[in-house]
Amino acid sequence: MNEGHSVALECGKTVDELSDYLAAGRLPYDPDIETCPECLNALDALERVGTLSRSLLEREARELPPPPANWFDRIMDVVRSEMRVGRSLPVQHPDPRVQITITEGAVRALVRSVGDEIDGLYIGRVDIDGDAEVTGAPVEVNITGTIRWDQSVLDATALLRSAVYEALAQHTDLNVVAVNVTIEDVHDFANGEDES
Amino acid sequence: MTGRSGGAASPLSGLSDRILVERASDGDELAFGEIVRRHSGIMRAYTSRIVGSLSEADDVVQEAFSTAWKQLPTLRDGSAVKAWLMKIASREAFALIRRRGTDAALDDGIDVPARDSTNPEAIAVHNARLAALSKALATLPDAQRTSWLLREIGGFSYDEIAEQTSLPVSTVRGNLSRARASIMIQMEGWR
Repeated sequence: MNEGHSVALECGKTVDELSDYLAAGRLPYDPDIETCPECLNALDALERVGTLSRSLLEREARELPPPPANWFDRIMDVVRSEMRVGRSLPVQHPDPRVQITITEGAVRALVRSVGDEIDGLYIGRVDIDGDAEVTGAPVEVNITGTIRWDQSVLDATALLRSAVYEALAQHTDLNVVAVNVTIEDVHDFANGEDES
Repeated sequence: MTGRSGGAASPLSGLSDRILVERASDGDELAFGEIVRRHSGIMRAYTSRIVGSLSEADDVVQEAFSTAWKQLPTLRDGSAVKAWLMKIASREAFALIRRRGTDAALDDGIDVPARDSTNPEAIAVHNARLAALSKALATLPDAQRTSWLLREIGGFSYDEIAEQTSLPVSTVRGNLSRARASIMIQMEGWR
């Protein structure tokens, strides 16, 4: 079936062809399109309209009335009802008849709070790698984080590593053989100087 | 202290999406709350254009965030969370439309109140362009407008749009083609 509604330029290319080309990131490079002034004009116009569509939505987003009062709370209720607890990690007790465990989620939260206490540092992900459900099995703790632009990575990660060792020794029975920290982001640029 | 955006500034508000997603995947509800605050506006604006009313859009976005919380650990690249949320919101919007029967969608656009006119000229021109696009979108038939939004804002492929709207891919292609043609023609004055 011929769908004869696609607008064609005088050079013969259709707006649809150009739109597909644009959506593909202008790859692979098409010399016919890239050297044709008409095509280039149309590509510009298509790109502008795409950008404009997103601006339109962003403006609407700013001007919408706020959601109902309990809207946010209802989302957070769902979040709290589906907490991610992860594995149950054993904690030793003097009485062998007593079994105590701490959830992986709680250990992660502990590491996060210890890390967030350090000035200029926030924790991202906390992974407890190893057979942590077996008492005494060696585990590695792998942590990602973000550092404020004006802080020293070396100082902050050294502080973090020792704080995590200490907290885990105090609150868990994990046999932590390594705490590895990867700083993967820098935050709060805007507080240093005004970005436009 | 120096929260970038207004409202109750959380200490997490200066962090990137990537870090927030990592924390939320690990179970940090505060980080998820920050993600909700950061991205809910655009999701509400977008879904209200799909379902045609803001109160229903609020339900849709709420549902989308519930889904997002559950599926967050499957998101590999946290810096792509906005596009990911928009896709979830699109799916929830279409689920709502399917529940209520197909043809009630997109009765009319949402009226956007005009901004106060103390803006410099550049903003005035930009606003005029936005108004022209808004008008162009409003004149499109529902199916075309939906395809356009899913493609340009939601970032869906032709196949994904076909799946969401229960239309054949060839029809989606045709709708998009018509939408593009009308918008380009109506926007011509704004080159």
